[in-house]
Amino acid sequence: MDQPQRTFTNRRTLLRGGAALSGAAVAVAGLAPNAVLAQDAAPSRLTQVIERGRLIVGTGATNPPWHYEDADGQLIGFDIEMAKLLARGLFSLTDEQLANREEWSQYLEFVVEAADARIPNLLSDRIDIVCQFMTITPARALEVEFTIPYYREAVTLLFLADSPYTGTEDITGQGATIAILENPTAVSMVQNGVADAEVSTFDSVANSVLALDSGRVDATAIDLSTGQHLAAQDPGKYKVGVDSWQPQTYAFAVKPGDQRWLNWVNTALHEYLAGLDFSYYQTAFADNFGVELEPPPAGFPIEYR
Amino acid sequence: MASIIDELPLLLQGVVATLQISMLVVVAGSIVGVFGGLGLLFGPIWLRAPLRGYVDVVRGLPLLVTIFIIYYVPPAFDIDISGFAAVVVALSIFAGAHISEIVRGGVASVAKGQSDAAKALGLTFWPRIWSVVLPQALPSIIPPWTNTAIEMVKGSSLAYLVSVSELLFQTYKVVGRTGAAMEIYIAAALLYFAINFAVSRFGAWLERRVRYAL
Repeated sequence: MDQPQRTFTNRRTLLRGGAALSGAAVAVAGLAPNAVLAQDAAPSRLTQVIERGRLIVGTGATNPPWHYEDADGQLIGFDIEMAKLLARGLFSLTDEQLANREEWSQYLEFVVEAADARIPNLLSDRIDIVCQFMTITPARALEVEFTIPYYREAVTLLFLADSPYTGTEDITGQGATIAILENPTAVSMVQNGVADAEVSTFDSVANSVLALDSGRVDATAIDLSTGQHLAAQDPGKYKVGVDSWQPQTYAFAVKPGDQRWLNWVNTALHEYLAGLDFSYYQTAFADNFGVELEPPPAGFPIEYR
Repeated sequence: MASIIDELPLLLQGVVATLQISMLVVVAGSIVGVFGGLGLLFGPIWLRAPLRGYVDVVRGLPLLVTIFIIYYVPPAFDIDISGFAAVVVALSIFAGAHISEIVRGGVASVAKGQSDAAKALGLTFWPRIWSVVLPQALPSIIPPWTNTAIEMVKGSSLAYLVSVSELLFQTYKVVGRTGAAMEIYIAAALLYFAINFAVSRFGAWLERRVRYAL
């Protein structure tokens, strides 16, 4: 008795299921083109930034000469200058506007972040771009998209001025302890320069230098640019090693998947580095690193040499 | 020494932010804590169970993880929350859980006869709690409450990691520029100590007051 009834029920369920399925199929078929359209229509961040009238940049505040605060608590440094140059391109700022903080700060907002927060802030749309001495690595490039480089950094040793050492050659073999900012490759980064070094890692550049000041370490492995900045500020206290190693590339980073925005930043950066707007990059470079760059030669584009 | 005096205005900006965060958190955490603690003791099961879950989960999470969740998850749902707001909410959730447990313990320690006597006088639940039980519980609530308040002042330094310029971040910035790490860190330590010493004196004063009230 039960058997046919159950079959009947099952068949009905089956029919209902089939109807639901085909309904779903219709719905999917109907929705799919819309979804694609919606994706096409999603405005690039470039459009969003222009409509907002303000570029939101993630950067730091504790690492001279890259990004730090002056005695009035205002952000300055090379990354800050580069961000201003992006705003100049986006909003056609004049030189007068660029020279006046009250003027350009209407078009440029900084979100000051710890180095660890660079990628999360980008992915959660809190910022449009990272301008915070970010080293390109293939692993990071899986999470964000890097622009073209704007600086090539290297590692050097910072010594106290009265240190008997001068560079990696004479400190190797002495069993020295060397401080460095904590990072995934900190130990190998130091030992690539000083093979027998004992490595001591710190949470900030300032604390790795404090370890040198207080005599906890014999040297601090530090970015060449930062080392030069510190030694220039206080020549009686520090000296920079005679050599540097492990070059690394700094670039800006944007959220992945927005080709229009990435292309715009790359184009703008490229012209600051090697084109019409080179003098702006040159000035920022001289102001922050104390080095006067030669303009790119005319004729055959420098990129293909 | 002159350099520290020059940098003091920037450090004091940090002190203001630290105080703002701490005060908001202690007030919000105390409100959550009083009702949370009473709910844990007297609430019906449908209230008690989620409160117990809240207290246990939050007490088991590192503060930093709570801050990161509040700061980074809402933007994924298009909800904009500032670093300052995220820290205040996260620390309040944290303080609320701890103070709930403190209030629960304090109220439970009041002899049951007090509540029974109040009942015999015909007092209903809220008057019984507010006028009879809670005042007697305060002497055992205030000391651990002061500890939690001090923890929150120190916990506010984690705001540095979500871009809030409180005292620790201001300290890092000044150290970054001047390189005078030792002097500036000592100045910052003294400022933190001054805030926490004031909080602990306030706690001691409150403690004397509630004892006197008995």
